[in-house]
Amino acid sequence: MSELKYRTVSARSKEKKILEVIMAYARLDFSQKTKIGNEGDIFDAISAGVNMLGEELKNSTVSLREKEQLLREIHHRVKNNLQIISSLLSLQTYNEKDKKFLSLIRESRNRIKSMALVHEMLYSTSDLSRVQLNNYIKTLCKSIYESYRRPKMQIIFSFNINEGVYFDIDRMIPLGLILNEIISNSLKHAFPENKGTISISLKNVKNNYSLTIQDDGKGLPAGFSVKKHSNLGMQLIFMLGEQLNAKVNMHGKKGISYKIQF
Amino acid sequence: MSLMQAGKNNPVKTTAYTTWMGEDGIARTVVKKNAEVKLKEAVENTEAVFSLFKDKKFPLLIDSRYIKYITKEARDHFSINNRETVIICFGILIDSPLSRVIGNFFMGLNKPSVPAKLFTNEEEALKWLKKFL
Repeated sequence: MSELKYRTVSARSKEKKILEVIMAYARLDFSQKTKIGNEGDIFDAISAGVNMLGEELKNSTVSLREKEQLLREIHHRVKNNLQIISSLLSLQTYNEKDKKFLSLIRESRNRIKSMALVHEMLYSTSDLSRVQLNNYIKTLCKSIYESYRRPKMQIIFSFNINEGVYFDIDRMIPLGLILNEIISNSLKHAFPENKGTISISLKNVKNNYSLTIQDDGKGLPAGFSVKKHSNLGMQLIFMLGEQLNAKVNMHGKKGISYKIQF
Repeated sequence: MSLMQAGKNNPVKTTAYTTWMGEDGIARTVVKKNAEVKLKEAVENTEAVFSLFKDKKFPLLIDSRYIKYITKEARDHFSINNRETVIICFGILIDSPLSRVIGNFFMGLNKPSVPAKLFTNEEEALKWLKKFL
């Protein structure tokens, strides 16, 4: 074989091996390495570069996996601790007959549950930093409905939320608490005949969101004023709205409607 | 005698390096041809460099022109993060495509904790190192 032909065959063989290793690294398989010759030529330089990139990538991948594992564990523990607090509150109601006290405990437990749900969803998904809003709201509504459901109660929930909307924990926690208050208020006060609909919709243009929560219940009593008559729940809605840098509007003529723009 | 070889008295020989103190107060360490430097070889080199210390920290010129490979553990070690050192700065001599790739990787990804620079010319390297004396 001529010198030139030998070099061409040798170069192709080296190229093939380097490509195989790069593809293995792309699959996050770091068991392979390219062979570095003694010539110190361009192929050896590329081989060394590929090997070093593989080592760095392996290191970063392992480190990232460990961090993800840790974060998952933290969310899990936070959720468990919140559940423990909720259970402790529940224990306080043992043999208790005072309806006001029982109601306060239920409200507190639902608030805790709305936060625990964020952590549960964070560790259950592959993306540990964001929660799918649509999924969260549906699960939250189901949970609140179970908490306030009365015999023969038939409330229909209607959702119109884009499945592609995800929020991080800093937005999800206050938003979850706001939703909890609004939906709880509707279920407690809006439907004396135990029938009705709660609609939740989200419109978004670029990064501006408008979340509307509306019920078709009896609406606000005549002469109602937020300043004069608001309870803790309503105060929370406006306080958490501020935390979200959101504009919160409430209307109470045909049922009650909240518009949260952020 | 090249500038690199200047004052090569009592060199310390390890598996992958030959190390000595130059008459100009700049230490030199030369990697052996086709050496594959792993953590063991890197630590041996550090011990050799430490053995040159008397009362004052010094610059170090590393001739990496004939290196074949250096592992991540060895690169991390040479970056002098989280460990004591007797050197105030180091210059790395590179030449072949292979040593250039290795040198640039080291500088880019391992970020040494003391001033460090790549050179293809001994004179320029020594001129730069002398500024730290």
